[in-house]
Amino acid sequence: MKKKILVVEDDKHQRVLLEMELTRVGYDVICVAGGKDAVEKVATEPLDLVVLDIGMPDMDGLEAMQKILDVDRKLPVVINTAYPSFKDDFQSWSADAYVVKSGDLTELLNEIDKALASTTRPEAAEDEGT
Amino acid sequence: MTPVDPMRSALAMILAGGQGERLYPLTRDRAKPAVFFGGIYRIMDFTLSNCANSGLRRIYLLTQYRSLSLDRHIRLGWSIFNAELGEFVHTVPPQQRMRTQFYQGTADAIFQNIYVLQMEKPQYVVILSGDHVYKMDYRDLVAFHVERHADLTIACVPVPRHQATSLGVAQVDQDGRIIGFEEKPADPKALPDDPEMALCSMGVYVFTTEVLVRAVIDDARQDTEHDFGRNIVPALVAGSRVSAYAFRDEHTGAPAYWRDIGSIDSYHEANMDLVAVEPRFNLYDDQWPLRTHMEQCPPAKTVLSASNPGAGVIDSLISGGCIISGARVVRSVLSSYVRVERDAEVTDSILFPGVCVGHGAKLRRSIVDRGVRIPPGSCFGYDAEQDRRRVTVTPGGVAVISRVAALAENERERT
Repeated sequence: MKKKILVVEDDKHQRVLLEMELTRVGYDVICVAGGKDAVEKVATEPLDLVVLDIGMPDMDGLEAMQKILDVDRKLPVVINTAYPSFKDDFQSWSADAYVVKSGDLTELLNEIDKALASTTRPEAAEDEGT
Repeated sequence: MTPVDPMRSALAMILAGGQGERLYPLTRDRAKPAVFFGGIYRIMDFTLSNCANSGLRRIYLLTQYRSLSLDRHIRLGWSIFNAELGEFVHTVPPQQRMRTQFYQGTADAIFQNIYVLQMEKPQYVVILSGDHVYKMDYRDLVAFHVERHADLTIACVPVPRHQATSLGVAQVDQDGRIIGFEEKPADPKALPDDPEMALCSMGVYVFTTEVLVRAVIDDARQDTEHDFGRNIVPALVAGSRVSAYAFRDEHTGAPAYWRDIGSIDSYHEANMDLVAVEPRFNLYDDQWPLRTHMEQCPPAKTVLSASNPGAGVIDSLISGGCIISGARVVRSVLSSYVRVERDAEVTDSILFPGVCVGHGAKLRRSIVDRGVRIPPGSCFGYDAEQDRRRVTVTPGGVAVISRVAALAENERERT
């Protein structure tokens, strides 16, 4: 069963790139452009992981992550940001991984694999049937 | 260059958000740390006095339930810190920054205030409870933590094993490193050198900040009780440097006085510890001043004692504004503006501010809430069955006369 990933990214090009790449490696991908939409998606759709940008205009990723985890504390979250400095913000430590954006998506894909492998939550696909 | 004083890089987080259910009805209208204690104090004053005396003067007080009187007390009594020196005490109600729920446990209270740690950037976080009675110099505790290069240091006292079932019990190796920890164990493990005693956590912790943040964040992602004793400490004991700090009397080396006000019976006992000729807990120690907020009161006064044989005040704490008029008060603690009228008897009891004990009334092993009027000739603490029909009676037999119970009783008297 394909794992379902929510990509939260305000930059359209980045969003499309991530969607294509994650779909190519075998994930079921849905995308939203901001933190508020992400929180709504998490509350309404079964998901296996969230890839989350930080610098977004409507609600930043750090704030959105806490709201996401307030809905589902075990949902894995991988931060994917252009800014390394948020790593020092304690709020970012709630994420399963912190990846600094680059042209090469290898690190992001590895962290997604690791986060999915270490999670103990029921799969989104199983939830759907119940 | 002299090393920086570790107290300057330490921050106190005082947990004052519990519901205090086991102290009900004393906590009906106030948070547990705001319950009156020792006549003029609130329970919280002891922890805050320790902070002030130890130079730990950057303090966040995490409040939650029924915090109005606590907030007011802190504002009126504890606005003593100097902001220009970086000192403060701030009360913080839940901010709902991380979660939309109230605090789900002690660890969750810290987790939900991670922003505070982000802002203050302390090197060490001293986590304290607002409902303990003791005198501790936190400088020694923090110095011990730094010297041991510990991730977490827990202040501990030896407690008889049969009492340890309601506390966190630590097992330590020869170097004082904690190698096992159980919260409220049914069969507490004994100290190696004393089979009758167990080493118990006081719920007083020093964390290196990053260790604390990682621990509460990890805990927040799991289905736990989000409790330091049940979850955080056992998890850290398994993989981090956790040290036990033995809380001792600096003069005698014996375990020092510490009371967790966990129940009305322990609250009553701790108050009774104050009234002995040589009290187990000394309020009159000028080396360790205990502060509070106290309204201006006229002096306590006793009248008509000479004309009434048996009247008098024996082994008691009497606060300002009290008038004891031809009555007998024995081993009791009276807060401000209490009236005890002619021929009344008050024994082994605690009377909150503004209580009036009517003519000929008798109280024994009773606690009377603020402003309650005990009807003339009535009796509490002598007949447990009769008391149970009217007021709260604890397992230890202490009668608690709340404002609501007193109103009902007065109505009954009138009909």
